Amino acid sequence: MSVVAERLKWNSASLLWRWSPLALISLIALVIPWIVSPLWIRISTEILMWAGLAQSWNIIGGYTGYLCFGHGAFFGLGAYVTGITMIHLGWPFGFGLLISGILAGLLAAVIGYPTLRLRGAYFAIATWAFGEMIRQIATILEITGGAFGMQLPAFLNLPYFYYVTLLITVIVYLTTYLLLERARFGYKLLAIREHEEAAEMVGIDTVTIKIKAFALSAFFPGILGGVYAYWVTYIHPDSVLGAQITDFMVVMAFLGGIGSLWGPFLGAFVVQLINRYLWLVWGEGTFYLIIIGAAICAVVLFIPNGIIGLMEARIFSPREALKQLRRIVKW
Amino acid sequence: MLLQSHELSISFGGLTAVDRLSLTVEKGMILGIIGPNGSGKTTFFNLVTGVYAPDSGKVIFDGKNITGLRPHRIAQFGIGRTFQIPAPFSKMTVLQNVMVGTFIHASTMKAAKEKAWEILEMVRLDEKANQQVVNVTLEDRKRLELARALATEPTLLLLDEAMAGLTTVEVKAAIELIQSLHTRGLTIIVVEHVMEVILSLCHRVVVLNYGRKIAEGAPDQIVNNQEVIRAYLGEHYSARR
Repeated sequence: MSVVAERLKWNSASLLWRWSPLALISLIALVIPWIVSPLWIRISTEILMWAGLAQSWNIIGGYTGYLCFGHGAFFGLGAYVTGITMIHLGWPFGFGLLISGILAGLLAAVIGYPTLRLRGAYFAIATWAFGEMIRQIATILEITGGAFGMQLPAFLNLPYFYYVTLLITVIVYLTTYLLLERARFGYKLLAIREHEEAAEMVGIDTVTIKIKAFALSAFFPGILGGVYAYWVTYIHPDSVLGAQITDFMVVMAFLGGIGSLWGPFLGAFVVQLINRYLWLVWGEGTFYLIIIGAAICAVVLFIPNGIIGLMEARIFSPREALKQLRRIVKW
Repeated sequence: MLLQSHELSISFGGLTAVDRLSLTVEKGMILGIIGPNGSGKTTFFNLVTGVYAPDSGKVIFDGKNITGLRPHRIAQFGIGRTFQIPAPFSKMTVLQNVMVGTFIHASTMKAAKEKAWEILEMVRLDEKANQQVVNVTLEDRKRLELARALATEPTLLLLDEAMAGLTTVEVKAAIELIQSLHTRGLTIIVVEHVMEVILSLCHRVVVLNYGRKIAEGAPDQIVNNQEVIRAYLGEHYSARR
């Protein structure tokens, strides 16, 4: 038995091990609208949307290491632009989406040019202020309907929005995989995150690369915002530009594990499920947010690398889990 | 002449870190820069590589004026540099670190990987290629620092205390490595406190004090220069020789 043959066998086994869960998830994702109730189609769509949003945030926040706290602005911008192009210009939905994404990306490039010089808390504060600014603008403009918001043409077709969201989120993850995990661009982002000065010193144009990453990470929320607007048909500044949009993107990415491909997906899945479960139990209150907040504190304290970090450290084994628990209790 | 700095000055607040510094580096030579802490050695490197723009003066590299250009442009012109405190990309492997350096010329991931392997073999880090950087020793981090700079295929290499903190044996290996790079045609500037390194490597030595050049010459001349002894080496060192 040659070593090569042995290794080949092992490789194909590991390949199967690696891709079969993905194939299974894909299959489930494709048939969901046929087998579950409308409520669960809604919840599934939400999970997919948040998975896409969290991953978009992850591009700048996780891979590049620039914690953006104004990302909800790009989502809201997309929602409003899609609404405006459909109502006032009569453009088709798909075209409005594309314009939303492009405008969000362009706005990110413009905002990023001055702010991406700042690091850490300063960048976070600058982007947070930018997010607030966009919300105020949406509140005072006439074309956005001000504080009352805007009504889009109704198109009540849950499976349609499920599949559109699925398609876009798949594109988000494919882009992340191909451009960030498997290409020079992604390595350059990691280098910038780990040591920006050294990255510059080996010939990386850090300013340009960061702006590209920021624009890319804003492009997809712009599109998803547009889908959301058409889906829920009624938007207003609090619903699409509220602070909780950014908050949830950040929280989901952190819980799942930032800077990883599947982290934001896992985070979105867990948080949105809990979110909806508590909402079903307690109804239309905000009490459930307190529980989510407490859970987030626990995550940041005890599993800073998120679910993915736990899995990589293989402390899912009972013995290791016990060891961890003991460490935590002692702490 | 590969590199020329002409009347280079920069000050921070009231402190003049580099003061009208002029020096030239010929192709194929190893130049040593010595001087007490805070004498402007690292600041000089930062001026050459574009980290700081000088208040006045010029940097000419290979006939081109590179004064005030951004560091990545200067790297593209062919100046490589290592940091005094190793500055690896921590959450990446050794190989990935070097690959990032090769991107300056390699346009595909495959080419980058091949080039990175080649360099890792040259600095004898190939066995640790797939280790995470956080798990390698200080000596290997220094080698990695060098490997990443070499990955950009520089014509001029700036080594900022590449041997600080290494043991005698490790220093010996590092000297050999730098000599082998020199025989491959690299021009090198070393900033170093270990005098043995300066004496065994350098063709010329420049001595800085308070940002000013106080002496320049062959290593033998430098160690016997009275002003250098007073400012930096100390009476003890000259007595020992």
